[in-house]
Amino acid sequence: MRILLDQFTKTFGATTVIDKMSLDIESGEMLALLGPSGCGKSTTLFAICGIHRMNGGRLLFGERDVTHLPSQMRNVGVVFQNYALYPHMNAFDNIAFPLMIRKMAKPEIERKVLAIAELVHIEGLLKRKPAQLSGGQQQRVALARALVREPDILLLDEPLANLDAKLRLEMRSEIRRIQQETGISAVLVTHDQVEAMSMADRIAIMDQGQIVQLAAPKDMYDEPVTDFVASFLGNPPIAFLQGTVEGKTIRLENSDIVLPLDAQAAKQGNGTPIRIGVRPEHFQPEHPVKISGKISFIEEQGREELFDVTLSNGMRLRSVQANGGAFRLGDEVSWGLAADKVLTFDPSGRRI
Amino acid sequence: MRRAHLLGLGFMTPALIIVFLFFLAPVVLTAVFSFTSMSSGTGISGGAYEINEQTLRSLTDRGFPKAKSEKLGHDLYRIGEEGLGAVEADFGKAFADEIRAELSGELFEGRRDLERELKKLRSRPRSIRDLKKAADLFKRSVLNTRFESETAFLDGVGETGVELTADDQAVLVKTAYTGWSWTTANYELITSMASTWRAAKNTAFYVLLTLSFNVGFGLFLAITTFYLPKGQAAIFRAIWILPRILPPVLYVMMWKWLTWDTGFLSIFLSNFGVEPRNWMLNSDINAWVCIVLINGFVGASLGMILFSSALRAIPPSMLAASEVDGANRWQQIRHILLPQLQWPILFTTSYQTLSLLTSFDYIYLSTDGGPGRSTEVWALYTFHTALNNYGGVLQYGLGAALALVLVVIGIAASLFYLRLFKFNELVSQPRIEQ
Amino acid sequence: MSSNFRSWPMTLLLGFLSLPIIVMMVYLFVDTVTDTTAGSLIPDRFTLEHWRFLFDAPQAGRSNIWSVTLNTFIFACSTSAIVVMTSLTSGYALSRLNMPYRRLLLGGVLTLHAFPTVTLIISIFLMLQMTGLYNSLLGVILVKTALELPLGIWVMKGFYDTVPWEIEMAGLTDGASRFTVWRRLVLPQVHPGLAALGLFSFLAAWSEYILPQVLAPDGASQVLATYLQNLIKDDRAPDFNMFKSVGLFYAMPVMIIYLIFNQKLMNIYGGGTKG
Ligand SMILES: Nc1ncnc2c1ncn2[C@@H]1O[C@H](COP(=O)(O)OP(=O)(O)OP(=O)(O)O)[C@@H](O)[C@H]1O
Ligand SMILES: [Mg+2]
Repeated sequence: MRILLDQFTKTFGATTVIDKMSLDIESGEMLALLGPSGCGKSTTLFAICGIHRMNGGRLLFGERDVTHLPSQMRNVGVVFQNYALYPHMNAFDNIAFPLMIRKMAKPEIERKVLAIAELVHIEGLLKRKPAQLSGGQQQRVALARALVREPDILLLDEPLANLDAKLRLEMRSEIRRIQQETGISAVLVTHDQVEAMSMADRIAIMDQGQIVQLAAPKDMYDEPVTDFVASFLGNPPIAFLQGTVEGKTIRLENSDIVLPLDAQAAKQGNGTPIRIGVRPEHFQPEHPVKISGKISFIEEQGREELFDVTLSNGMRLRSVQANGGAFRLGDEVSWGLAADKVLTFDPSGRRI
Repeated sequence: MRRAHLLGLGFMTPALIIVFLFFLAPVVLTAVFSFTSMSSGTGISGGAYEINEQTLRSLTDRGFPKAKSEKLGHDLYRIGEEGLGAVEADFGKAFADEIRAELSGELFEGRRDLERELKKLRSRPRSIRDLKKAADLFKRSVLNTRFESETAFLDGVGETGVELTADDQAVLVKTAYTGWSWTTANYELITSMASTWRAAKNTAFYVLLTLSFNVGFGLFLAITTFYLPKGQAAIFRAIWILPRILPPVLYVMMWKWLTWDTGFLSIFLSNFGVEPRNWMLNSDINAWVCIVLINGFVGASLGMILFSSALRAIPPSMLAASEVDGANRWQQIRHILLPQLQWPILFTTSYQTLSLLTSFDYIYLSTDGGPGRSTEVWALYTFHTALNNYGGVLQYGLGAALALVLVVIGIAASLFYLRLFKFNELVSQPRIEQ
Repeated sequence: MSSNFRSWPMTLLLGFLSLPIIVMMVYLFVDTVTDTTAGSLIPDRFTLEHWRFLFDAPQAGRSNIWSVTLNTFIFACSTSAIVVMTSLTSGYALSRLNMPYRRLLLGGVLTLHAFPTVTLIISIFLMLQMTGLYNSLLGVILVKTALELPLGIWVMKGFYDTVPWEIEMAGLTDGASRFTVWRRLVLPQVHPGLAALGLFSFLAAWSEYILPQVLAPDGASQVLATYLQNLIKDDRAPDFNMFKSVGLFYAMPVMIIYLIFNQKLMNIYGGGTKG
């Protein structure tokens, strides 16, 4: 089902946390809400499921205006970060609870619970209390409980935050599989960009109550609209250099390093300040636009190595290399930028 | 109004009713009662009208004509249907009918006059005693008779044949009224009586001493048990919690046994040649010591609980670090334990100040303010005045005025604590906004 | 706690200071089953004589111990039940529900919690007299309930505060009403608090002396506290062995409950009770 959040505004007392935000979730897609802590992700989620009241704007589920409906009448399924399983009920009763509230017949409940348990692979655990389940299993029960009532939309609030690294990987693909099998529209709240990139059809990046960019993961990575988005996506993160336009080149601040980035420089007038963003994979020994510096940090990551290169003016660039074994800490190196991949931003952070 | 509002108010209703009935109403009523002259003498539900010896005396003092008040004080004998009915029941119809025929409606100033007339009747009883009894049945007196309303009272007075002017009547009605009336005399009494000042002084003394003991000894217990091995600490905590959990009546009874002249202390000390005596009541000083200890043991155990749990919150690594740094035990207490206890101490102090100021049950059970009234604190004085004194009338009005002082202090202090302990930060909005 | 310090001097000191209580407690138990010659501290004879008050017909003017015990039991149970039931709903409303005057109500409960209730006893006494509840167990139960209620509500609110919000949120999105959420999802989480509060109010009422003494002094509604105190007050030649037997009988439930539920009760005792 298509979900439309239109001009949504939320205030707590005197502070406006979200101001006129609009968001469109296509039918059957998984949309990730990504942003730093405190940017308003949970607030948006709570507005969609009806736990918070909206101070302005509309919320449509398909054609239905649910803005003023209480949670109970919205038919949303929510998975909370701590799962919020009912501790005194076993897994079966937990999953059956929403159906029981709807006064469904016993056999019908049983049939549905068993079916959904099978989907999330917990058939054998239905008799256990939440305390007797592992984190991943609790997560599956919570998913089953959210899905069993066939909701219009599935909301996931940091569903993987409480899991250890290995389980997180497993559940990432599990949740994606289940979402795709059921064909349900879903919103995934997360502050982990890897999670968002790997699970979602589209990502909405939020900052201070605003959606900064909404796009498919790959598009967003390649074409961020602001330096904020650029810095949020990618691991290891993008490095920034400050400079000013000098004719067809860019001179880095406090140094005589001049980069012949004519394509980027051409868009700006002479003497304007500019920020250059370089992703680690675009700063490699073989690339053409050379820049010298000293290796100030090396991190072995097994498959690849991460280098920090400090320039003469103190700025730092990052590089990830698959076979960089020959370099030592303190080495003077002269590596190159991939000129066509370099991102440039104006002083306010907007992409040029 | 939203659904959750209704649910919330519905959920609060039972509590609100109880609070209204037993907190708000009593507070207001205490204030109201303090402006009345209510006592066990006046009763609480309005009053009656009655002339007694004392009324007669005050009547004269208030300028009521002496002749009239004397007449009010005398018995009267009037032959009326009421008396006739009684005679018929006791002495038969014939006698009653004869009286009705001969004497109906007549008035006699004394019994002898009536007896003389009765003797003349044929169907009279033979014995003199019965005759006297029959005459008594016609006695109509306003003296020592209760009249429930003013009209009934004036009718009764009218029957005696005393003529009253309007002024006389006003004075008479006012003097004969036994119920309570509105007055500010209680407050004048409070400020003028020596006993209130003594009670105030005793209270200050009591609160100061007991509070110091509570906090000081509570601290001592918490810190010492903190350093003891787990098992020993648990035993001492269990011992020191006893004064708090034992019912006050039993706890104080054991103190009496300890200090009685045939009790433990006396017997024990007699081995050393000390005269047996009642250690609780034989001198003011001993009485105070007992009271402070009795209350102090109870209060110290509360302090111990609070302080101990605050101490348990100290990370062990912090203690270990200070020991590695070479701190001795005193320094550790001074620089690590005590700072941790700052808030609990403040809390205990403020909380107990108020409860000590107003509670009196342990004192009431132990010394009951004695010897003399040397340990009578304000709350106990109030209690004695209004609810429990051997000496006679219970003065509800005066007691209420005394209690109101405590009520006002109590409300002020509670509000002050709300500020002190940052009530505003306790109130967070519910996260579900339905 | 910390092994770097010697602890035996402290043990000794504490032991010495605890002597009064230890002596009182030991003799409380010993004296109920022994006789001691006057002027001596060592009991010389075992006897069950002092417990005959349990079986003998009561002396003139005294109530039967068993009916007094029953009264006390009714008093304590009713008080506890009403306090728990009322706190159960009010605590939830204050902890979780949006409602008008929420701040005021919260402040009110806290103020009442600190407020010294004995100061109200005179007007309550007069109120009961006016309403005819004076000298009845019902009156005492109502008053005691009212006085225990602020603490109860506050404690219960504290227990509700520990239930994760997400459980309620999940319940709502699962389609349950606020009432159902409370009844089916939240209430089962606060059972331990409920038990603790119930026990606590039971003990508080069981030990209460002033209220029954002032508000229901008559024989028919006497409770153990007033019964025992009347014994102590009346007697010209005090028979402490008998007092102690009655006292032990009276305090037994308190000690047993305390021994079993120590940990649970500590939560509330520590939570800022009066004293
Ligand atoms: N009940 C509230 N009262 C006042 N401010 C609130 C309330 N709830 C949230 N906020 C504020 O609203 C902003 C958004 O909060 P929200 O919980 O939506 O952030 P979030 O993006 O989910 O962060 P996180 O990743 O840490 O969960 C924050 O600045 C927060 O302080
Ligand atoms: Mg959040």
